[in-house]
Amino acid sequence: MIGPFSRRSFFRKSAAALAGLTLPGMLTECAPATKLTKVAGEIKGGAASLGHKLRGEHALFKQAPSQILNYEYVIVGGGVAGLSAARWLQKNNIDSCCLLELESHVGGNAASGKNEVSSYPWGAHYLPLPNLDQEELLKFLQETEVITGFNEQGLPFYNEYHLCFDPKERLYINGYWQDSLIPHFGVPEEDQQQIATFLKLMDTYRKLQGSDGKYAFTLPVENSSQDKEFLELDQVTMLDYLLSQQLDSPYLHWYVEYCCRDDYGTALKDTSAWAGIHYFAARRGVAANAETNTVLTWPEGNGWLVKQLHKLIQSKVCTGALVYTIATEGEAVHIDFLDVKSHTTKRIQAKKCIMASPQFVNQRLLPEIPLRDQNFYSMYSYSPWVVANLTLSKPMERKGSPLSWDNVIYQSPALGYVHARHQQLNSHAAQQEKLVLTYYWPLADKDPKIARREALQKGHDEWIQLIMDDLTKAHKNIAQVVEKVDIWLWGHGMVRPTPGFIWSETRKKASMPFDNKIYFAHSDLGGVSLFEEAFYQGIRAAKEALGSIAS
Amino acid sequence: MFVVATCGLIYELVAGTLASYLLGDSVTQFSTIIGVYLFSMGIGSYLSKFFNRNLIGWFIQIEILVGLIGGTSSSLLFLLFEQVESFRILLYLLVSLTGTLVGLEIPLLMRILQGRFEFKDLVSQVFTFDYIGALLASIIFPLLLVPNLGLIKTSFFFGILNVLVALIVAVKFEKETSWAKFLKISSLATLALLLTGFVFSERIMSFSESLAYRDTIIYAKSSPYQRIILTKNDRELRLFLNGNLQFSSADEYRYHEALVHPAMQGIKSPRKVLVLGGGDGLAVREILKYHSVVSITLVDLDEAMTKLFSTNSLLLDINKQSLLSPKVKVINADAFQWLKEQKELFDYIAVDFPDPSNYSVGKLYTNSLYKLLYRSLAPKGIIVVQATSPYVAPKSFWCVNTTMQSVGFFTVPYHTFVPSFGDWGYIMALKENSYQIPSAFLPNLRFINSETFRQMTIFPKDMMALEAEVNKLNNQVLVHYFEKEWASYLQ
Ligand SMILES: Cc1cc2nc3c(=O)[nH]c(=O)nc-3n(C[C@H](O)[C@H](O)[C@H](O)COP(=O)(O)OP(=O)(O)OC[C@H]3O[C@@H](n4cnc5c(N)ncnc54)[C@H](O)[C@@H]3O)c2cc1C
Repeated sequence: MIGPFSRRSFFRKSAAALAGLTLPGMLTECAPATKLTKVAGEIKGGAASLGHKLRGEHALFKQAPSQILNYEYVIVGGGVAGLSAARWLQKNNIDSCCLLELESHVGGNAASGKNEVSSYPWGAHYLPLPNLDQEELLKFLQETEVITGFNEQGLPFYNEYHLCFDPKERLYINGYWQDSLIPHFGVPEEDQQQIATFLKLMDTYRKLQGSDGKYAFTLPVENSSQDKEFLELDQVTMLDYLLSQQLDSPYLHWYVEYCCRDDYGTALKDTSAWAGIHYFAARRGVAANAETNTVLTWPEGNGWLVKQLHKLIQSKVCTGALVYTIATEGEAVHIDFLDVKSHTTKRIQAKKCIMASPQFVNQRLLPEIPLRDQNFYSMYSYSPWVVANLTLSKPMERKGSPLSWDNVIYQSPALGYVHARHQQLNSHAAQQEKLVLTYYWPLADKDPKIARREALQKGHDEWIQLIMDDLTKAHKNIAQVVEKVDIWLWGHGMVRPTPGFIWSETRKKASMPFDNKIYFAHSDLGGVSLFEEAFYQGIRAAKEALGSIAS
Repeated sequence: MFVVATCGLIYELVAGTLASYLLGDSVTQFSTIIGVYLFSMGIGSYLSKFFNRNLIGWFIQIEILVGLIGGTSSSLLFLLFEQVESFRILLYLLVSLTGTLVGLEIPLLMRILQGRFEFKDLVSQVFTFDYIGALLASIIFPLLLVPNLGLIKTSFFFGILNVLVALIVAVKFEKETSWAKFLKISSLATLALLLTGFVFSERIMSFSESLAYRDTIIYAKSSPYQRIILTKNDRELRLFLNGNLQFSSADEYRYHEALVHPAMQGIKSPRKVLVLGGGDGLAVREILKYHSVVSITLVDLDEAMTKLFSTNSLLLDINKQSLLSPKVKVINADAFQWLKEQKELFDYIAVDFPDPSNYSVGKLYTNSLYKLLYRSLAPKGIIVVQATSPYVAPKSFWCVNTTMQSVGFFTVPYHTFVPSFGDWGYIMALKENSYQIPSAFLPNLRFINSETFRQMTIFPKDMMALEAEVNKLNNQVLVHYFEKEWASYLQ
């Protein structure tokens, strides 16, 4: 059936527009602050998390384990890094391996959920097109049919169902949803100029290689050029860097800060300039059938990638296993854990242990070993995050561009929301159906310790009020269409690349194995919380562990 | 006084404008409305002689009533347009009611002021204000009010003014009126009502879609996916989905013959057919003319559509009961999802989706969907895709062509004139470059034959092939082209 706009229907639209034209804003914008009646939902993570709850079990931990098990390899932590390590061991025909994960599901910060409307992410939700030199990652994407082939120039063809559909990104600014996240609607010429200058500068960095032949900025972090001129950028904050370039536009600063908060959960003034530039300059992914800045995404976010990894090594995974002590003894390493279901403690005697858990956790599990002292751990700080999944009975009102994948509100403390059903094929109007929006909020305004403590104290109602107050700015009627809000509190969401951290000697040595028995594999070792880094760290640690067994 | 006069004329203008929006044909509508209005004013004036006591009280009450009826009139008319069988009766009823009340105003006012002025001054003053008010109204109505406030807000606004007059009079002449308190309260209540209406007028507007249709609506229903409207006049039946014309019974045969026969005629005894979209059964009607066809699978998202076209007798007349044929299997599903999962091969596939005017529908025109179509097509099969107007939206049309070619199809673009739509385009697609214009078409067709089709494959200079990008899920270029081209055409 055809549907040309008829003259009349167009006329009707303009008539409707006319009817709505009066006193724009005056009647609508002064709507009273949203006052909500009770909205369904719960808080997960945070104080409700297993790790948190089990803190008080010290008595149990002091007793001798009730059961002793034997494996060659143990992996602590089933996030992306742990799963990636397990995949590598599997590929190398290691059968005697056990992955211990404290939650009831694997995935860590890339966990996902599902309700009757859609799957949705609880944390990580996208992967930019990988650089062509990230060969292992490209292989994994081939194994999972995310990459379907290569063209004559060697550029990958990506599965179109996994490339983020258009429209990708929108920004609400000056009362209107504009295309793209870079502010332009109603932005003064001079500010736009500065934004253009900045982006050009970042493009130069993207292509830049050091005297060692390595890219100035790349992933994994370890492969970046060691030229002093680049590493020095790690000593200043991103804010100071911008100012030193005579870039002071508030619009530009907002945008760059948005990016820092998105990748690291840190404010402009707390982010190292090296890390800040890394966001813009480290991605050179190209495809035969998509633009460079495209991303891969799924309704459940990176939860989809987690599922693919999990499928490969399912039989090795033991969930509900809280590791509480690790010790070396003679030729063996002992991993003591609480089996949450049976509420008993168990010990695995292994030859090798890969720690795919974050360093703030390792601090509690490991004995004092060289390098890993108080000083070492104090360098690691983590930004708390709040993620909320909102179920809406129908789409909310909006002015300007239609709902897209990533929707950001200018100057909001949060990062806006992602439309979980964006990648669904159902062509018919998402316009009338129930939606799930995943709302991201890094608590970057305060010192992370304070922000974390305050966050833990807030109740469900308080969070909802804060979230609604934010979203109402761009969607007048959001409070009327919201049915349910589930909240996940990530106490230690992302490692913070504050100035001096990434290129400190301590961080550089952080992944050094101990005693040919304990290996390290978490994204925080690279100083950036990214899928690529986690995936790499897992493989690197597994390789090291394998290598030393052979020797 | 002045306000009263202005308000009076405004309601008349509102009614006239509304009538021509909703019913079309502005000259007739305007002049009959004005006639009825003036006539009712006459009745009002006549009736004024029966009001003998408590004139101020009556005046106030009339003002409140005028405000209430005049103020809500346009919203009422908009809202009731589809619900009420004989909309005209309602329209003229409201117009005569307002007219009568307004007709009462002036005589009453003159009598109230009788004792206070000399008669000649009084007459001169009252009518001067009346006519100046009328002039003002007729100028600000088209220049200021309609463009800025819209009809619904305009009526509410003047309703509010009327009631304010009532309130002021009620307060000023408190001592001279009986039931002053009652009058004050009722004017305040009416005021509140009108103010609410004013504030929510955008919502009211969105409820009332009626001004899109110039013919009588004989069927209106909202399915979960779209708003289905059927209209009828003496000559034709029209189907609208979400306000967009889908077909007119007067010339749909042109569209559907062109969609079906060039391809069907080019296939050696087509057996299995797939229709995507096309829940009206009109393409199926054409396909059933080929006796070699053993099965037709029709996939349309909206059950409400396929049901309507399988049950409504007017529509069964048009589609010749095609959907009820035992050869036809109707599946209500999303075409993309369905195609992705299905494994059969079809000889002919008709793709008749709505135009790519938004991102949801835009997905159905992507290379990803065409790859699925490729997979579902028999080696010697043919696909035809409706591809919007190559005259209005040439870039969009050629984008569909490029996109189909990008997945390996050989294409034959063609176009034809369908009066209700304009010059309309199709892309025929095959796995081999083997299409020959058929030397003969079925004899019982109304429009197409070999010579006509040959002409359809010729694209004049103003519709020549344009370079366009491949439409993909991750760029949706077609939606962007389409929006731009249609918007500039409709300006
Ligand atoms: C809100 C949010 C959004 C994000 N968005 C993105 C994104 O879009 N793209 C992106 O690339 N990255 C994103 N990230 C970063 C994300 O953290 C990484 O991409 C990646 O998932 C990290 O994996 P990991 O394995 O290094 O760490 P983690 O995910 O932290 O995995 C550690 C695992 O160890 C387990 N564990 C901890 N202690 C114990 C114990 N004592 N015993 C047993 N198990 C234990 C944990 O439960 C967890 O499963 C996001 C992070 C957050 C918090």
